[in-house]
Amino acid sequence: MARQKKDRKINIIDTTLRNGEKTAGVVFSKHEKIRIAKMLDEIGIPEIEVGTPALGDTETDMMAAVLRSGLNARLYAYCDAEVDSIETAARIGMKNIIINISTSDIHIKKIYKQNHTWLVNRLREAMRAANKLGLEFIISAEDATRTDLEFLLKLVTLSKKKGAKRFRICDTVSKFDPFRTFMNISTIKNAIDFPLEVYNHNDFGMATANGMAAIRGGAESIVVSVGGLGESTGNAALEEIVMALRYLENIELGIETAKFREIAEYVAKASARAVPIWKAIVGTNVFAHESGIHADGVIKNPKNYEVFNPAEVGLTRQLVVGKHSGSHTILHKFKEYDIDLTDKEANDILALTRAMSVDLKRPLFDKELMYIYREYRSGSGKEAVIQEVKS
Amino acid sequence: MRELNLLTDFSQKAGIAIDPKDIKIDDTTLRDGEQTAGVVFANDEKIHIAKMLDKVGVHQIEAGIPAMGGDEKEAIKKIASLDLNCSVLAWNRPVKTDVQASIECGVDAVALSISSSDIHIEHKLRKSREWVLETMKSGVDFAKSHNLYVSVNAEDASRSDMEFLLQFARTARDAGADRLRYCDTLGILDPFETFFRVKNIIDIIGIDMEMHTHNDFGMAIANAIAGIKAGATYVNTTINGLGERAGNAAFEELVMALKFVEGVDLGINTGFFRNLSEYVARASNRVLPTWKPIVGGKLFVYEDENKVKGILADPATYELFKETDVGLERQYVPGKYSGIQSITQKLRTLGKEIDERHAGELAEIIRKKTVSSKRSLFDSEILDTYKEYMGSSKKEKAGKGKDK
Repeated sequence: MARQKKDRKINIIDTTLRNGEKTAGVVFSKHEKIRIAKMLDEIGIPEIEVGTPALGDTETDMMAAVLRSGLNARLYAYCDAEVDSIETAARIGMKNIIINISTSDIHIKKIYKQNHTWLVNRLREAMRAANKLGLEFIISAEDATRTDLEFLLKLVTLSKKKGAKRFRICDTVSKFDPFRTFMNISTIKNAIDFPLEVYNHNDFGMATANGMAAIRGGAESIVVSVGGLGESTGNAALEEIVMALRYLENIELGIETAKFREIAEYVAKASARAVPIWKAIVGTNVFAHESGIHADGVIKNPKNYEVFNPAEVGLTRQLVVGKHSGSHTILHKFKEYDIDLTDKEANDILALTRAMSVDLKRPLFDKELMYIYREYRSGSGKEAVIQEVKS
Repeated sequence: MRELNLLTDFSQKAGIAIDPKDIKIDDTTLRDGEQTAGVVFANDEKIHIAKMLDKVGVHQIEAGIPAMGGDEKEAIKKIASLDLNCSVLAWNRPVKTDVQASIECGVDAVALSISSSDIHIEHKLRKSREWVLETMKSGVDFAKSHNLYVSVNAEDASRSDMEFLLQFARTARDAGADRLRYCDTLGILDPFETFFRVKNIIDIIGIDMEMHTHNDFGMAIANAIAGIKAGATYVNTTINGLGERAGNAAFEELVMALKFVEGVDLGINTGFFRNLSEYVARASNRVLPTWKPIVGGKLFVYEDENKVKGILADPATYELFKETDVGLERQYVPGKYSGIQSITQKLRTLGKEIDERHAGELAEIIRKKTVSSKRSLFDSEILDTYKEYMGSSKKEKAGKGKDK
């Protein structure tokens, strides 16, 4: 698997505070914005998008507050290619900006109601303004994956010439799969020597895979958000990208991943969206094992069913006792309570456990397991307990 | 070098259109989905899910594990007797007693599952490679002697030694197995690695292959598609991606990705997807996230002004498929990122008209209210804000009139 060069540098830019908040229904308070920025900074995220100046005073106040909080991360304002909002960004003290512009024919025609020449001029003007104000800027091509490749290359060349820091390729409508992403990024990289950044949406569940494919294709930077929070289906999730880089590509970013669960929970609270228990990397069910085969495997050696230790992302392993449990899980579970069962006892208790779990339509709490055990031992005998479970 | 070959392989393959008739969905919501820690379906729910899957057009249903006996066996028996259009498959270890229990259920297909990775053979099974091959072969022999369709599942295939996996596939093929299920049990592959490995097995052994992928690193769908591109013809999915840990490849995501990203239409009735997902979410006692790809409740809810502008001009500016394609609805929710278009559109749905200047001012008021209440506003709040604003704006006008 690990075929990338180990020393390859990949940049992460987090957009939880910008595109994450843009999600319909999500609103962060000033306090939350600062807290999230600090948390990201603390674990070592190098770049953070903090907001959109064009939204007005409330937003620029918040952005200025984040700016004053003394972070190590490089902070970005997100601007459309409009001189006004670029000037606002500079006025509140932002040093780095993203200049976004839609480049696909469908967007130029239907949204801007303009043509290529108009778009090139607009981009030139925006870059001129940024340069005049001494800002570092990334050019972001919205709907780049539906943009005519020749036109896109022209824009990359222009951005390079005008001193942009990177060029961002947005897969705005999730048009590409990983193979096409790879081909697309390699093609641009081969044509023009300039740093590329990718921005992916998860409309078909491929945001992370596409992000990783872009990195494989030569992209230097990737846009992520905590838990994948973002418009519609969201973006590539920070925690998935960092762990996939570490375990699938052998690229270590030096990010403190043990805080991932904590950050995911904080953002979940602030955005009023619970972390699904099955969320890749940070869901609580990711290290929960119930089925006989899996639980038995994990008891014998966690490597059987786990790629990394749960503590690495701030989670803990759980053995869940329920319908799919096997006798090894029962033996192990009781051992935790210093009770050594015989094989026969374990099998009897397993039958009782399964029946009760089906009846309740859920796994059992440890306490319920103890009740089953006590009644089983109390002389009422196996049949009596089974009778009770069934009644 | 390998990377180069992979690319050449891929470029050639990418040029060849995938024939939708070749791709079959084998849904395992009832087996791997239920095997998820904490999930238990009632038998009635299992039967209902099986009927719905058949109705939307899946090709095979993995109904459960007959060897568990009791209720589980009863449910499988019932599903096999429903006379569905799809095939009904039962999960087994490759042992006679398991297969016997499947036969008693009346299913037409069995999966025989055994680990092929050294780590599992050594640390879980505590056996040898030879034992694995022999056990698998005798399982296939027995199942084939009862005229069952046989899928041999290579559990933990993605951590298996490739030479041994080829031997495993060859043994399965020679014993008469109908297909090999490639299980990325821990979800550790990426699409490129998946493509390379699956293609290798198909090229060398020539057996029908099925993809079973997990989402531990968020790549279940991409890996399933990579397998198909490499020549696999079956995909093991679950509704909502329900499954162990981070889950499996989600049925609805795979079908839509094939249709809209790869241009392969399996002819599945996608308009029923939201219903199907909601039912399974309830039965598995898991809330369907509003942002869940394909079926999430808020996927077609628009707040951002630029998006609203685009959607109103032409939905294709931001959508590859229509909300009705998956049984959802489109909505406009004014909020912090809204402007004139969003407000005008929202008010129109509430039966009110507003001009551009007023909409701009009202948008500013609504943005502030959204930030201070830290959520989107309800329709009634928007209407109240509108009435209040229009009232004061009239008064202002009237006042100005007097001054003159």
